[in-house]
Amino acid sequence: MARDNGIEVEGIVRLFGGGIRAVDGVDLSVAPGEIYGFLGPNGAGKSTMVLMLVTLLPPTEGRATVAGFDVAKQGPQVRTVIGAALQEAALDSFLTGNEHMDLQGGLHGLSRNERRTRGAELLERVGLSDAAGRKVGGYSGGMKRRLDLALALLHRPSVLFLDEPTTGLDPQSRSALWAEVERLSREDGVTVFLTTQYLEEADVLADRVGIIDHGKLVAEGTPTELKAGIGQVSLEATPVNPNDRERLAATLARFGEPAAASPKSVAVRLAAGAAQLADVVRALDADSIEVADLQLHQPSLDDVFLQQTGRSLEGEEVDKEPAS
Amino acid sequence: MISSTLSVSLAVLRRVMIQTIKNPAIIIPSLAFPLVFLVAFAGGLSIVADVPGFSFKGGYTAFQFVFVFTQTAAFGGIFTGYRIAEDYESGFARRLLIAAPHSAGILLGFVLAGLARFFLTGLILWGIALVAGMNVLGSPLEILAMWLLAANVSIASTLWVAGLAFRFQSVDIGSFMQMPVFILLFLAPVYVPLALLTGWLKLAATYNPVTAILAANRGFISGEESKALLAFGLAVGLAALMALWAVRQFHRAHRSVA
Repeated sequence: MARDNGIEVEGIVRLFGGGIRAVDGVDLSVAPGEIYGFLGPNGAGKSTMVLMLVTLLPPTEGRATVAGFDVAKQGPQVRTVIGAALQEAALDSFLTGNEHMDLQGGLHGLSRNERRTRGAELLERVGLSDAAGRKVGGYSGGMKRRLDLALALLHRPSVLFLDEPTTGLDPQSRSALWAEVERLSREDGVTVFLTTQYLEEADVLADRVGIIDHGKLVAEGTPTELKAGIGQVSLEATPVNPNDRERLAATLARFGEPAAASPKSVAVRLAAGAAQLADVVRALDADSIEVADLQLHQPSLDDVFLQQTGRSLEGEEVDKEPAS
Repeated sequence: MISSTLSVSLAVLRRVMIQTIKNPAIIIPSLAFPLVFLVAFAGGLSIVADVPGFSFKGGYTAFQFVFVFTQTAAFGGIFTGYRIAEDYESGFARRLLIAAPHSAGILLGFVLAGLARFFLTGLILWGIALVAGMNVLGSPLEILAMWLLAANVSIASTLWVAGLAFRFQSVDIGSFMQMPVFILLFLAPVYVPLALLTGWLKLAATYNPVTAILAANRGFISGEESKALLAFGLAVGLAALMALWAVRQFHRAHRSVA
């Protein structure tokens, strides 16, 4: 792609009523053709950031450029180079897939012929050719998401914003969408700014990840770098007898620092890594502690989030507490 | 910029017309209200034509039709503008705002859609009135002028509702969209000429711009002399004022998009 289609953000702030700082002084840089995963829990400021970058919301402070255009001062130029699929695909239930393509093409100023050919090409790519003539009111959630992605790509944008694109999708649709996003970045050089609350999505798809919490960027790097920062593998054990939990904690404490675990379990970060597993098993046997479950966990982005914020990102793990 | 704006506005117009064709229920309210008024008042109140001082060449049906026609224009705009609020609630407005390089085209598209709906319902209304035996004594040019004057009412009402939709971004404001238009329409000489009104209603009607618009259109349909220039001046002025209101509200809501 001839033009520099990166994203630059400097000290961007968005204030809402009551002094709420939805985005609070974020700096970030996304290289052309890169897939940048913007990870954070609900209400962290991910969508507010996207709304500012796609020119729907003016920043209160700071500056951001998309493909070299200032989002606050060059809205029309920004909008010609971006495509966006925001949360909850906004589609008109009375219109068919083809009619949506025609509308979107018209908004972007494409000729009737371009609208038709490009629309058909994209509908085929996202597997909606057969449903193109049906009203989208009858589409499934996955079909709507795929149509939304096709609409965002109609005018060949150089920067693509995807705001939680796979929320509510079945695993098959999610994988198909991931494959398409990856292809866009690798083959077409499209820069992708992807917000997600799914760790796996950021891990699999993103070249680099920024973790946002309470409007602030708390960590940034490649998924590998971020996880390497955590370093140690953790071991989680669940005693057969719940009364043994304290004894179990004492035994495991000999092998590393306590880590977050579900209420019935005990976890530690193994100081010398996975090689200690055999020693742990021998120690448990020597102390006569029977365990119902014993698991080794590689560091995850959730561990990164936990380390940075003291909280877990994944809903099902929110109840985790550090082992005593 | 002009071609981009035009492309956006035509895309919005096409979408609204597709919606209307696929779901005729959308235009039923903007047609049903004026039809009920026409049937109820032109028929039920036709004796008003015998009141001393009522001297309208076209007859009471044509007299009442002008009001109903103007009402159709206003309702066409209101119901089109209402869709903008629906688009905000559903999130569809974001699609339009992100895709359209120049957002003026979105507003223009809705204004054109309001005009198209008015044209459609206005034609049906004319057909029904003519079948019912309405007298049309004006020339084709005068009838064209009548349409143009009403079109300005449609534009003004679309822009009024668009401004509200931009400001509140919710259909909950629906009743407030219609109320001021209703008040303006009904504080005009609806059933009898201005000269036959008395008291506060006459005072309100005298200064109501809709009075001049109705008077001009009644002059057009009956082929009588009317203060057309004043009516066009007021109608265009009203539309311009509403355009300022709508654009201001749009900028307020989307400073970085505009």
